[in-house]
Amino acid sequence: MPTVESILTGLAGDRATGALRLGKAGVLYLTGGRVTYAETPSCPRVEDLLTASGRVSAYAVRQARQAAGEERWGGDRLVDRGVLTRGELEFCVLGAVMDAVFFLLQVTGSRSRFRPGERHWLGPQWYFDATGLVRECNRRRVQLDQAWPSTDLDTLPVVPVARIPAQRIVLTSLQWEVLVGADCTATPADLARKLGRPAYSVLLAVRQLAAAGLLCKPEAAAGDAAQARAAPALRSASSEKSPAPPRRGDPPDKAPVPDRRGESPEKSPVLPRRGDVSDPEKSPVLPRRGDVSEGSPVLPRRGGGRETRDREPGASPASPFPAGLPAATADPGDVNLLIRLRNALEALA
Amino acid sequence: MLGIEECLTEVMAIPGALDAIVIDQTSGMAVAAGGGSLNGDVEKSAAGISETLRAALDGLAMMSPTGAVRVSDMIISTDSGYHLLRSLETVFDGPLAIYVRLDLERSNLALARHRLQALSDRLITT
Repeated sequence: MPTVESILTGLAGDRATGALRLGKAGVLYLTGGRVTYAETPSCPRVEDLLTASGRVSAYAVRQARQAAGEERWGGDRLVDRGVLTRGELEFCVLGAVMDAVFFLLQVTGSRSRFRPGERHWLGPQWYFDATGLVRECNRRRVQLDQAWPSTDLDTLPVVPVARIPAQRIVLTSLQWEVLVGADCTATPADLARKLGRPAYSVLLAVRQLAAAGLLCKPEAAAGDAAQARAAPALRSASSEKSPAPPRRGDPPDKAPVPDRRGESPEKSPVLPRRGDVSDPEKSPVLPRRGDVSEGSPVLPRRGGGRETRDREPGASPASPFPAGLPAATADPGDVNLLIRLRNALEALA
Repeated sequence: MLGIEECLTEVMAIPGALDAIVIDQTSGMAVAAGGGSLNGDVEKSAAGISETLRAALDGLAMMSPTGAVRVSDMIISTDSGYHLLRSLETVFDGPLAIYVRLDLERSNLALARHRLQALSDRLITT
């Protein structure tokens, strides 16, 4: 199956004008072989960027869109109305197209169909060379990896840590927007739409924040586990802050277990604590969780990330396991057994 | 009301202008470029310029008592010319920067700065 890049290069060679539909993944519009617009559901469109700021009303955009035609394109109509300058529109289109192309070039296996003559209502505002686009997208990919070479957080909800591992930090304006907009459920793509910022910029900000240790990281890697032990205060703070810890804790509870098993043994003493917290009376929580986990291995990492926050309340005095519990090297099965034993004894007493 | 290309043309019309680039600050991408000597290396220049701006912002933020900083323009003089860099906030997208390199002998820095300011107000209205 040809890649999007090769199709695009072919169309550019033919100086084609029309719309290249990549199934549900998105659309690329070409004018005379050059890309003039692109959109994909995972990125904010031009109209989203325009209206999110409040400067241009959705009504004005709708009107421009309906009135758009060969004789006068929607983009030109918007500029004519004086709601934004030509430069602002061009820059907005530029951002949206680069954004969409960045994600569309990674699309594979999607059925593509080219419809000659089909145009986008905005009309051509900025022309992109196919080769230039590909080069720029590669550069952006490198840039993302330089910021933080892990895709772990790209599709997970953005969860800022409540206490930062530093006395003072410097943020860019976009990083600030991301932190303010993060509600612990929105992924970077959701945030981009909510903030009206290009998805790539938000992704880059998220990676930078992650690199600075300002986001709760998924705990798949062993290195993270060490870090998690080193900074328990962060967790307690974030769990206090969370409006509904039990609710938020629940879904991750199901996932993390496979992950944990793979982790170093000293992590296992944590399990009883956590079980106790979520349900102080019923400890069979553990086996249950194990069961569930097998059913939902889809999000082990995410669970891993959240799990750290849930665990912390276990350190509270309410827990039968004191916070300073020495690290045991028991296998989780043993711990499990001990918990059941303890429960049985408690029931007897 | 200016488009990006017209803006660039006008920037190049500033007395002593050698080359100019419009840059997307977030990605460091060259949006448009004008002038001769940059040809072929526009992308590298754009990346370098946005990195310079970022470093200046970081440093100044650290230096500022409030930790907040807003750079409107930056002038760097080197033996190859004056580098004039104007940072622009945009409502709809990330921040932009307009860069122009000026001839040491033939340019008037105050005039160039003034012209660049007026041009950027016509390009982006905030």
